[in-house]
Amino acid sequence: MIEAKRISKFFSVVNDDRTAEGFTVLNSVSLRIESGSFVSLLGPSGCGKSTFLEILAGLQAPSDGQVWIDDKLVLEPLPATRKDMEEYRKKYRFLSPIANSLFRDNPKHDIAMIFQDYAVFPWMTARQNVLFTLKLRGVHKSEREGAAAYYLRLVGLVGSENKYPSQLSGGMRQRLALARALSVEPRIILMDEPFAAVDALTRERLQEDLLRLWQETKKTIVLVTHDVDEAVYLSDEVVVFSPLPGSIRNKVVVDIPRPRRRSSSEIREIKERLLAMYRYDTVHESDYSI
Amino acid sequence: MSVDSIIRDSATSRRGLRWWNLLVRELEVFLRASFGSVFSREFLTVLIPLLILWEALPRLGIVPRTLVPPPSAVVMTFRDMVVDLNMLEHVTSSAIRFGAGFLLALITAFPIGVLMGWNLFIRKHALPLFQILAPVPPPAWVPITIILFGVGLPMQIFLIFLGVFYPILFNTYQGIKETDPRYLASARVFGASEFTLITRVYIWHALGSVIMGIKIGIALGLIMLVISEMYGGRSGIGWLLLEAKEYFQIDRMVVCMVLLGFIGWFLIEVMKYIELKLAVWRIGR
Repeated sequence: MIEAKRISKFFSVVNDDRTAEGFTVLNSVSLRIESGSFVSLLGPSGCGKSTFLEILAGLQAPSDGQVWIDDKLVLEPLPATRKDMEEYRKKYRFLSPIANSLFRDNPKHDIAMIFQDYAVFPWMTARQNVLFTLKLRGVHKSEREGAAAYYLRLVGLVGSENKYPSQLSGGMRQRLALARALSVEPRIILMDEPFAAVDALTRERLQEDLLRLWQETKKTIVLVTHDVDEAVYLSDEVVVFSPLPGSIRNKVVVDIPRPRRRSSSEIREIKERLLAMYRYDTVHESDYSI
Repeated sequence: MSVDSIIRDSATSRRGLRWWNLLVRELEVFLRASFGSVFSREFLTVLIPLLILWEALPRLGIVPRTLVPPPSAVVMTFRDMVVDLNMLEHVTSSAIRFGAGFLLALITAFPIGVLMGWNLFIRKHALPLFQILAPVPPPAWVPITIILFGVGLPMQIFLIFLGVFYPILFNTYQGIKETDPRYLASARVFGASEFTLITRVYIWHALGSVIMGIKIGIALGLIMLVISEMYGGRSGIGWLLLEAKEYFQIDRMVVCMVLLGFIGWFLIEVMKYIELKLAVWRIGR
């Protein structure tokens, strides 16, 4: 279970004339994601939803608020006062707060993440990429080869095990990222616009694969997307983000039984509702700014 | 003899043969990549006329022969120097000096560069020191080095070390610092420790600039090799060059210069080959 409590994120930007300006990316976002559910975070580009996902993954510290994954705190929020900041700096003087330990490979939480631009390591072959993550999770050496072969087969990368990512197509790279994430058998998978960069046909196939894998393994999946079709078709619940500063605009439960048909009238109805919300937001954008 | 042992024997001999084949094939790849570019048809159309011109001008008396020895004379001098002056010994002693200084620089500059690129705390403490010291031209170190180390091998090794150190240091540091944060983030999510990040992510991402630093280091190291041999010692290519100057033997100077050029070219080709072998994943980009 993931629980985000009043997550806010501010940045301060220094302008050309050396004046500082505050910049709110996320404004008090609270969200509870039950285990085994498939939740989409939907919003226009640049509304802070990717930042929110990175905060969930512990790759950024929130300015305020806390994230708990299975009752374990992810990262402490950034200090608010100058005095606290000094202490914080002293505490993390040598290692940044997002670092794991210095020598021992050990994930802080049982999560895996898939990035928008894949972020598979170009200097490792497909097989080596999966083996590497298995090693990081402390899978015993004798089991790694078998597990890697199994997950590469699962996502349909048979025959490309020894190719480097530069030799794979965009869709295949995304499959590799998926295999890498699944191979460590996490309870939670966070996905940051995973299908944004592949063509429409490949995207549909990858979505089907993802649904099949989710139904087989019952993991918690959090999917960030700006594609309304994708969000409605895949998820149990769609969380709609408002434009900047990002906050939760609405939550729409998609209670359509699976397997769903992409063109069914229920899906189209929910899609219309979401799109109407979107349109209203873009027309009345100023209502949300502070 | 049992069937098993026959199978095993044939397997080991095949493995031995395979190892040998691999070596021959790799050597072929290296030679084709290095000498191939010099003896390509395109470059030969430039090289041969240049050599003919170099041969013809002194022979025809257009330039004085005493000042510009033609290539044929240079080749003859080279042969004489190998026989009479124990040239091989001089080349070996230069190679030992260069190798020692280069290795010393590599095993110190690379780790320091990695640590400075990886960690802000270390960077803030160490980088300004190197930024102040690096602009001092390495030849400016010659007088104080001679006073500190005396004339001899330690002084020469130290001067070569100074030439190689900074290019490797700064290129490594820059490459490591500019590692794509996406790769770091994805490795961290899966639980990579900082040590694993360095060995499996940072270093590989920075490989190109590290090798670039080594190439610049080789060039500067050769400069320092010649300078250090000119200032101290009774052996080495630099010393031969200085000797030739004392006796106004221009042909010998040219031999030394061509030899130094060849050594530099060869070392750079070796680095290119190593880069090719280590960065197979870049092919097809």
